[in-house]
Amino acid sequence: MKRLLVFLFIAVLALAGCVQTKTEVEGSKDSKEKGKKTVEVLGMAASEEDMNIVRDQLVKNGFEVKLNIQPDYGSFSAQKDAGNYDLALSSWTTVTGNPDYAVRGLFKTGGDYSIVSDSSLDALIEEASTLTGDAAAAKYKELEQLLVFDQAYIAPLYISNKYQGIYSELVNPKTVHLPKSRAQVWENIEFNDSSKNATEPLILHQTIDSLTSLDPIKGNDGSINTLNTNMYVRLVNLTDTDEVISDGSLSYNHAIAEGNQEYYFILRDDLNFAAVKDGTAVDTGELVSAEDVVFSLNRAKDSKSVPDHRTYSLHENIETVEIVSDLAELQKKKIAGSDQSVLDALSQNLPASVTQLAKDKGTVNNAAGAYQVVKITTPTPFPQVLNYLAHQSGGIVSEKQVTSINTYDVAAYNPDKDIAYGDQATVTEGTATYNNHLYASGPYILIKKNDYEAQFVKNPAYRVGSEYEPKIAKINVRFIADNDSALSALRNGEIHVLQSVPETKLDIVKSDTKLTLNTADSNAVSYLQMNTSGRPVSVSVDLRKAILYSINQDEFISYYQGNKKPAVSTVSPLINTGLKLEADSKKVKEYLKAYND
Amino acid sequence: MKNSLHVKLLLKITQEYVNSHFTLVFSLLFSLLFLAYSYNFSTQSWRPIVLIFFVIYAIITAYVGFLTLRIKQDLASYSDIRKSTRLLGYPLLLTIVSGNIFSTSFAFLLISRSKTAEYTFAAYALITQLFIIGISALNLFKPYVTDTYLLAMGLFLLLAIFYIVMLMLCTKFVTSEAAPKWMLLPGILLLIASLTGNLFATLLGYSLIQKARKANPSTIEKWQRIWEKILRNTMAVFGLFFIVLMFSLSVTSSWTFDYDFAIENNYGALLQTPSLEYPLGTDNYGRDLFSRIVFGAQISLIVGFFSTIIPALIGGTLGAFSGYYGKATDNIIMRSLDILYAIPGILLAIAIIAAFGANTMNLIIALSVGAIPTYARTMRANVMQLSNFEFVESARALGASDAAIIFKHIVPNSLAPMIVKATLTIGGAVISTSSLSFLGLGIEPHIPEWGNILKVGSTYLETHSYVAIFPGLCIMLLVLSFNFLGDGLRDALDPKSN
Repeated sequence: MKRLLVFLFIAVLALAGCVQTKTEVEGSKDSKEKGKKTVEVLGMAASEEDMNIVRDQLVKNGFEVKLNIQPDYGSFSAQKDAGNYDLALSSWTTVTGNPDYAVRGLFKTGGDYSIVSDSSLDALIEEASTLTGDAAAAKYKELEQLLVFDQAYIAPLYISNKYQGIYSELVNPKTVHLPKSRAQVWENIEFNDSSKNATEPLILHQTIDSLTSLDPIKGNDGSINTLNTNMYVRLVNLTDTDEVISDGSLSYNHAIAEGNQEYYFILRDDLNFAAVKDGTAVDTGELVSAEDVVFSLNRAKDSKSVPDHRTYSLHENIETVEIVSDLAELQKKKIAGSDQSVLDALSQNLPASVTQLAKDKGTVNNAAGAYQVVKITTPTPFPQVLNYLAHQSGGIVSEKQVTSINTYDVAAYNPDKDIAYGDQATVTEGTATYNNHLYASGPYILIKKNDYEAQFVKNPAYRVGSEYEPKIAKINVRFIADNDSALSALRNGEIHVLQSVPETKLDIVKSDTKLTLNTADSNAVSYLQMNTSGRPVSVSVDLRKAILYSINQDEFISYYQGNKKPAVSTVSPLINTGLKLEADSKKVKEYLKAYND
Repeated sequence: MKNSLHVKLLLKITQEYVNSHFTLVFSLLFSLLFLAYSYNFSTQSWRPIVLIFFVIYAIITAYVGFLTLRIKQDLASYSDIRKSTRLLGYPLLLTIVSGNIFSTSFAFLLISRSKTAEYTFAAYALITQLFIIGISALNLFKPYVTDTYLLAMGLFLLLAIFYIVMLMLCTKFVTSEAAPKWMLLPGILLLIASLTGNLFATLLGYSLIQKARKANPSTIEKWQRIWEKILRNTMAVFGLFFIVLMFSLSVTSSWTFDYDFAIENNYGALLQTPSLEYPLGTDNYGRDLFSRIVFGAQISLIVGFFSTIIPALIGGTLGAFSGYYGKATDNIIMRSLDILYAIPGILLAIAIIAAFGANTMNLIIALSVGAIPTYARTMRANVMQLSNFEFVESARALGASDAAIIFKHIVPNSLAPMIVKATLTIGGAVISTSSLSFLGLGIEPHIPEWGNILKVGSTYLETHSYVAIFPGLCIMLLVLSFNFLGDGLRDALDPKSN
């Protein structure tokens, strides 16, 4: 017994010698403990994972972190407006696919979403917007250098990818597009069994059930972007990879005249407005004409055309919109970077060659050679204006219908009394205010909505007989707030397309034989916005840089199992400037030391 | 005929036999569980480690089965368990290495003839200590251990030896009525040892000190009788064991577990399946699930305990006044509490947290407020019944003040139902804490708390199910333990059965 005890004792001692303690492995941590800087990170519960990674990275670099997690966007914005943060976890999606939109509203002094005020940054944004190609890339590189590396107004985290789940048991996955910037394309989608197209409703999904406004210029958010894109046709369209084209839009062709300040669009005559009558869509017989285009774009750029105008800053670069009546002008003008005349550029693949420009919509007859041409001018050379025209806020509305509804005085608008065109109350089922006055120029029109879903039917007069004629007669957009519930709905066929499958659930979609996973690049960038007033981070560049170099994007990417990409700024998904943010704890220490001194 | 009836009765009242059955069933259940899990159906291969566990448990089951038969034979032929049978219990002690708590406790029951409460306390104190050593020892497979690890482990080993010594001393010197005077010293040592959270040591120490000091015999008898009743209830004992283990683990984890493994993200080890370095795998941030669950027990127990004790105190006091004074006092207090009672507890908690922010303190307050009325009702009913008893009348006749009557005479006599109720509701509080964390309203998401861990796990239920299964099991077991213990306490404290 004694021997055994002695043996045991020695064994334990020997084992104890083999064990490594924390101090032996990591060294003493005392130096780190002193003078820790507390940083408050603000974010939404939905981005809890990112907040946790940011917290972890900052803690490991010697910061103390306080998390301020808000349940929804409303309370998040309230906290942000109150300035209760050092770092706000933000994300931005450039829905127009052009770099100017990725910086103008966000970082220019006085921009719609901007809290940054830096005159050299403003100048760079303006300069870059006038350039194209390599010159633009070089300027945006300068901009990123200033924004991220020199001033550290933001600390970039990652670029997301798009993951779309399709219930391919029912829906033909080849007909479902996943564009990089543009909202979901509805008119192409078909069922596997094409006989169902006319009878079965296609069920799509959207997170938000409260629709900001069905007037395209009165909203620019997730609640209406997809809906308005499919209800109102635009002058041009974006491809899946963000090129501006005329296919699937109101124009046959478009051309940029020499000098990059004049833009010409030749319009089609096979699109009529649809209206809702007795619960279904009818052809109003009214052509979507150049007059409507002029009316729509003029109200889009005028901040006083409607109350709560949310998109005029996108169109502030439009100087004039006019109907071209002189054919000679088109023959005379050359297009940018070529000897071709504007008329030649506009004349490609028309049903009949242009013999005259129609005076008004009554005399339009494409088959006989009478076309309408619209010209848009910009005060400075600004080719990116085309991207803004492809945005849902550039949707064409009916001049006649909108002016007949919006009879109130804009300055004295009272939301309780006055009914504005596109007010969701007029399409909400079962209310006293239901009185659907929508005129849709796009492939689909909204019949009615409730908290559960919105019901659309196809526009009977939208490019009938062409490949762009809507395939499926009825589309219901179901509102499911929680993405995980939406995925469950997709898996049992309750919805047919899910636009954003969570990264952690990709395996489930891949392994499900009833589903198809579609992947595409996205313009969505996540970044940390540093507070610019009233906090230590607003004053000290050193502190901001210390935070910037604490961020390790590789760790984000490995957390998301490789399903994210490194970012430098919100421009990164659009232009590769060659810059890269590398985490560097040595730099963090230097900057923190500089800050403390 | 008479004889067989006698044997049947004897079998029923012999604790060893009842317990052996229990152990047999559970060991069998676990071996079947291991067998089912040892084959990986998706890859068509065996899991060798699980298979080894199956073999060990199957052997234990067979051995316990053999012992059961032997006990039955002994009782049939000798009306008692023979010494040779009891000796056969010693090899079964080794099963503690396999983690089979049922067979170990059965072994302790079998080997000793005397069944004082002290013996059982000492045995469970030892088992708890050994479990803690075993659980903490898993940290040896980590890249490093905490600076206090070796010291703490040494201390744990010493404590385990101390408990073994106490176990022997208890069998030799302690009877159900008395203990020798020198037992005072080990008693005090045991109370100090209970700083490691081992509440069995506390119970043992308290019991020994009482007996050694030759305190009031009726108190000793009452104490002894209550514990005998509880200890006879096997499920209640295992419930108590699991609670004490979790409590002790949460006290000692600060010395033997490194908090960094629980909260620092490790992107090189995301969603790892269970291994020696990560006994329960890692979560989506590469944090060690095992460390997280161990540290999570701290918060679950703290919140559970305080959100039970606070409403018990407030509700108890209000109920006592209301029951004693009656009339207007009763009406005012109880009707206001009725209003509070009408608000669903969890909704009230959500509202409080939403208004004041999420942290441990607010969580405790939020969960406490909603529980006050039920405690007040329980206390009021007891006090109303007791205040008509003669001893209250006589106290009043002797000129005792109202406060003295309430707190000296009535309240101590109506504590039993409150204790039972509190035990039963701690489980509910643990669940509420986890539910609120699961909803994102509890504690900051990176802090290890069972609800938080479960929330992360729920996202990976289909792909990495263990992230959800283990915290879920812990919540379930802890709540179940409190419920079983509460049941045991109710049976033991029920005045009708005394």
